[in-house]
Order: sequence, then C-alpha cells, then structure tokens
Amino acid sequence: MAATVKYDEVEVGQQIPPVEYPVRRVNLVMYAGASGDFNPIHWNERFARAVGLPDVIAHGMFTMAQGGRYVTDWAGDPTAVIDYGVRFSSMVVVPDDEEGATITVSGIVEDKLDGKRVVIALNARSGDARVLSKARAVVQLV
Amino acid sequence: MTDLETLAKQVVGAGESPRMRASEAVSGPLIRQWTQAMGDKNPKYQDLAPPAMIQVWSMPGADRTAFQRDRIPLDDLLDALTESGYTGVVATNCEHTYHRYLRPGEELTSTTRLTEMSGLKRTALGEGYFVTWAVTWYAEDEPVAEMEFRLLKFRPREDKPQPEKRKPYPLKPAVNQDTEFFWDGVRAGELRIQKCGDCGELRHPPGPICPACRSANRTHVVASGLGEVYSFVVHHNPPVPGRETPFVVAVVELPEGVRIVGNVVDCPPSEVGIGMPLRVIYRPMDDELTLPVWVPLEP
Repeated sequence: MAATVKYDEVEVGQQIPPVEYPVRRVNLVMYAGASGDFNPIHWNERFARAVGLPDVIAHGMFTMAQGGRYVTDWAGDPTAVIDYGVRFSSMVVVPDDEEGATITVSGIVEDKLDGKRVVIALNARSGDARVLSKARAVVQLV
Repeated sequence: MTDLETLAKQVVGAGESPRMRASEAVSGPLIRQWTQAMGDKNPKYQDLAPPAMIQVWSMPGADRTAFQRDRIPLDDLLDALTESGYTGVVATNCEHTYHRYLRPGEELTSTTRLTEMSGLKRTALGEGYFVTWAVTWYAEDEPVAEMEFRLLKFRPREDKPQPEKRKPYPLKPAVNQDTEFFWDGVRAGELRIQKCGDCGELRHPPGPICPACRSANRTHVVASGLGEVYSFVVHHNPPVPGRETPFVVAVVELPEGVRIVGNVVDCPPSEVGIGMPLRVIYRPMDDELTLPVWVPLEP
C-alpha cells in the first residue's frame, strides 16, 4: 500500500484543510470499551467533578487518534504515518447533550525530509481551547 | 528527597521491565469497535490495525483480575502516588513511533521503563507529579512500535464551598478626592453632605470649591436621613444594565437644605408623588458597592 499524496507535489507551508470530528458521550463509552481504558473521568460526570474536572473529558488517546486519522486520511494510507507525537494541552470537555463536543483538526506541511518523508504540524481545537499542541506526524509519501 | 522521589529514582534505576504478554491479540473485532468509536470508516482497517491503537493491545481492561500481567516497578510507583493522595490522573504527552503496522492475529509483548518523575508541581488541577515512561512493543523479537507517555498524578483540590458571590453591579460610582467622603459615609451607614470649611454653606453634589465664598476648605455634616420628593421620573426605557424597569429616580429635598438624586424603592412607582416623605436606607448592590436609596417614611 502506498500514500496517494506525492512528495513532489507537496510544499513546505502548504495548508491542509480543517476537518471537524464530533465527539459525543456515546463515542467515549465506545472508546472505553474498545481501548480498555475505563477511567471513570471519561464517562462518569459525578466522578469527573469529584476529582476537580469541569465535566467528563475525552480520552487523550481518543483526541490523539483523531489527529492521527486526520493525517492518514490526508495521506490516503494508514500505513504512511511513521512517527506521531502530541502534547495534551487542554482537555476536550464532552457535555452530556446532543451536540457533545467537536474536535477541529487542521495541519500544515512543516518540513520535507529525505526519503520522501514530510513533517505535518497539527492544530487541534475544541471550543476555545487548543487541545493538542506540539503535535507532529512524520509521514511517508510516494 | 521525599519517599516518592526516592522510589522514583529506584524505579528509573531498575531500567527496562521484563517482556510482558499483551492482554489482547491484535483482533478484527476490537479494531472494529475502536474504529466505530472514532467514526473512522477507512476500509483498510479491515485487515490492518490503526496505528494509534498500539497501547490498546496492552490495556488491562475494566476487570483487572481477568488479565493479570506480572507487576513491574512502575506499578509500585503509581500505586505509591495514589496511596499518598495523588489519586487524580490525566495524560499530558504521548509520542508514538510505528516501525511497522500490525495485522489481526499477531500477538505482542512489551517492555516498560520509567524515564523520569518530575518534582512536585503546582498545576491548575492540583499539586502533582509528572511521570514519564517508555514502552516498546514486540512481535516475536521484532520491535514494532514505541511510545513515550507522560501523565500527571495529582491531588484533587479540596472542594471548598465558595460563599455565594453576587454578580457585580455594572454601574459603579466615580469615587475621587471630592466624593470619597460621601462613599465612605455610605459604607458607614451615614448620609454625608459636604460643608464649606469657611462659610459653612452645605452643597451637594460635592465639589472642590464653595459656590458661595469660593473657599476650597471643606468638611461635611451627617444628614438626618429624612427627605421628601421634590421631583421624580419613572424610568421605563431604555434598559439599564443591572436594573429592572420601571424604577423611580427622584430629586429628594433634605431638611438640611440641599437636594440629592436617588432611587425610590420598595414602593410602586404609581404611588410616588411630589412631597412624599422619605427616609434613606443603604442597599448592597453587590459584594462591594452599597448605594443610598429612599423608601417611603410611612410604610
């Protein structure tokens, strides 16, 4: 398998259009089951507030994975991502209502490396908060 | 060095843990559950695990007795933090490196090593320690992925019941050298009227110079707090921040001989009339501001 984005057609500074990913409580419940992370701060409001959080928050790894998915969707190939790191700079607070929260991810081609690899810098926001910072993915293009 | 820091140092010194069997083999059903939670419909995940799932294969799950791996030194540190009151946990950093992608059926092992624990830090969530560790996953003896993970173990802040704060009243009086004595008086429950330090003339509103003798010397008297309506308006519109309409603004004539502007409250506007006897009361508008307002002398 190979990426569909071509290294020669990508330029440093190129913006990747933003994508919005909705997060509702049900996604967190599903994610808890699928990931094995049952920390109650991710599904139990009572517990979340008791430990000083504003409300239930999304799993950090959920947010990170949405950022990763943004990159693989852009590259056209999930196996294209080689290295991916984030800092969880703010929490994604997911209220118990119909809207839940929205994670908006955008990216920019930050660097072109040898071997047809590029560095994508990601920006992920939820509401007013920047939820991922220092988010970088190294992607193998063709 | 605290006991926790000593323990952390020991755990760092212990280095890499032995290889531990992952709790789950890479499997189609778990991949499907995970991609559905993410809302990711990429068809390639039918025979390939999403890379960000890597640590999922080592998660213990909700029933920690169902899959028991060997304890590692890092467990001792995390347990010690919890027992010391640092019960809260939030992830702060994560970095993955994917050497190759995984397919259903693969069985993994992993090793874990504590990289560092910070000193005690004050954070928005409470005091706590940042704990960083590194995990390497193997398929047979081939490293397939690495992760550096940092989390904050914090002591949740005590829920102190906050005394109910009133919303700040949006209209604040201008307090300056000329008017300060008046507002000091209001706080002390006195209605103070400026008095010329030379000729003794009373004046309101306060000002720097006596309009009768032009003296800048001034003092004040404390008014009786009685008065009567000299004139008034009923304000219906426009809306005023912090106020409910209609309300009455009156010019109140004091027996001391000056007039003062103030609201007439606790009385329907239709009952306010010229000549109505009033007395002053002091009404807190928010946690800081008190205003002198007027009520009918006869209830």
